[in-house]
Amino acid sequence: MKLRGGLALIKATWLSWMQVRSFFFLLAFGWMIPPLIYLFVWSTAAGSGTVGGMTREGFVAYYLVLIVVNQLTYSQTNWTVGDVIRYGGMNSLLLRPLSPVFDALSSEVAGKVVYLTFVVPVTAVLAVILRPELHLTLRNALAFVPAVALAWALRFLWGYSLALLAFWATQADALLALQDALIFLLAGQVAPTVLLPGVLRTAALVLPFRYMVGFPVEVLSGQLDRVGLAVGFAYQVGWLTVALVAFLVIWRAGVRRYSAVGG
Amino acid sequence: MPQITVRNLSKTHRVPERAPGLAAALRGLARRSYRDVEAVRDVTFAVESGEIVGFIGPNGAGKTTTLKMLSGLLHPSSGEASVLGYVPWERRPAYLRRISMVLGNKSQLYWDIPPLDSFRVLAEIYGVPPEAYRETLDELVAILEMEPLLTKPVRTLSLGERMKCELVAGLIHCPAVLYLDEPTLGLDVSMQGRLRRFLAEVNRRRGVTMILTSHYMADVVALCPRVILIHHGALLYDGPLAGLAHKLAPFKLIHVSLGNGHRTDLVRSLLSPDVELIEQDGAQFTIRVSRDGAPGLTARLLNTLPVVDLAVEDPPIEAVIDQVYQEGQVANAGPQAE
Repeated sequence: MKLRGGLALIKATWLSWMQVRSFFFLLAFGWMIPPLIYLFVWSTAAGSGTVGGMTREGFVAYYLVLIVVNQLTYSQTNWTVGDVIRYGGMNSLLLRPLSPVFDALSSEVAGKVVYLTFVVPVTAVLAVILRPELHLTLRNALAFVPAVALAWALRFLWGYSLALLAFWATQADALLALQDALIFLLAGQVAPTVLLPGVLRTAALVLPFRYMVGFPVEVLSGQLDRVGLAVGFAYQVGWLTVALVAFLVIWRAGVRRYSAVGG
Repeated sequence: MPQITVRNLSKTHRVPERAPGLAAALRGLARRSYRDVEAVRDVTFAVESGEIVGFIGPNGAGKTTTLKMLSGLLHPSSGEASVLGYVPWERRPAYLRRISMVLGNKSQLYWDIPPLDSFRVLAEIYGVPPEAYRETLDELVAILEMEPLLTKPVRTLSLGERMKCELVAGLIHCPAVLYLDEPTLGLDVSMQGRLRRFLAEVNRRRGVTMILTSHYMADVVALCPRVILIHHGALLYDGPLAGLAHKLAPFKLIHVSLGNGHRTDLVRSLLSPDVELIEQDGAQFTIRVSRDGAPGLTARLLNTLPVVDLAVEDPPIEAVIDQVYQEGQVANAGPQAE
């Protein structure tokens, strides 16, 4: 029943968004810009040599993969959760015999389909023009799939939990902006994690943000050895567990509060 | 056994409070002050299966809060409720599948796609089998005569057309209990009438129990044989609509028309604190008098004045409600929950 309801929700959201697809294409275009800027910055810096062991073609490959991974893992849904809570939309969702998280999940899936119809062709054209160099191995390709899936789950749940703080604070969205800033800095967007200086690099490796975007990119572009891969997955699963527990706690407490004070 | 039982239900909200101005805003940063608001106080009633009950009261009386508790959106501060054998605020999926709440100011339709797509999603969410879905949809669409609306994007529909769609969306899973919060809000007179007829028809055909809040007395008069009046969170009256005027308005209106040579000063001489002249149009007077004083005054009018025509009436229901809303006649009424 949940599956049927969830699939129907995805379809309706997708149909609804395809009606206004140009808006979403513009959004997706906007999200491509920062990685594109850093693509040009780093590939120019590398010139015909290397920076931190990465060539110009290597940077192009890294950032083109990052553009796609960023789109795949970005949870734009979380920006609307606060409004849904503030303006009483949560009432309609709570009246249904299906957890409201399914509504957010359906937006996620539907959104990915809409964005990727824009991002994949654009990235393919960029690849033809900029000639990336990607040493793809079967191991890296196979590891990339779960790495992206876990990265999405982590980024979604982390953001959703932050957004649910709107049950208590009216402007919880500010925390999402902070999350985006930290991802920009520590998840391999400003620079690949390997190029970050000392303390920042340690912070990037320990904090959850790299595992939301940078890690799968590093996996596919072949920057990680066997140990790096294993440690990365361990961090990813660990942080995902933390995010899942945080989500469950915040969700239950939030609904309890919502039903105590009213929407 | 009643389908809905509510016993001593109360809800107290804690609302943040601060005086206007910058200084107060800064003080609020350090220490917030709160005020307890009793939205619903000790409300008790029961509703039988298939009944339509009108829930009336001024803005802020506690109507919506009560409906939100019954639909499981709000947890009460104290008291009990049972609907279809469930405790609403436990929000069990089995309960949520058997109720529906239609809010006049909130939509559950997808804005950019035709309502038919929204109905399908809801049917899937509620697990309605395909045959039952088609049958229900056909029936509701036929009663509302809304076939042409089904394929237009919701954002292009008028308010009235959208409300029709909201009602179908709320009924697509054949709920046993339907909560309606101001379903005719903002609609024109003829659309209000159509929706009323629709609700009456759904109640007759499917035996859906309905609790309806509305500020339009016409809704209540047309649909609700029984009303519950709530004011400042407390139940003031529970009984037939006709009894409300009798119970709450302890006065009658006497319309009297005088013949040639009438004298206004003679009419005025009959007035007292209990006898008020509330309207005069030429030789026609409308006098408000206490129920007990009505026979005596009628006799005096007939004896002392050249009466051409005289009628004694109960005040219109709107006037009674208005008086209760303004004065909160708790003392005269007293609850009548049987």
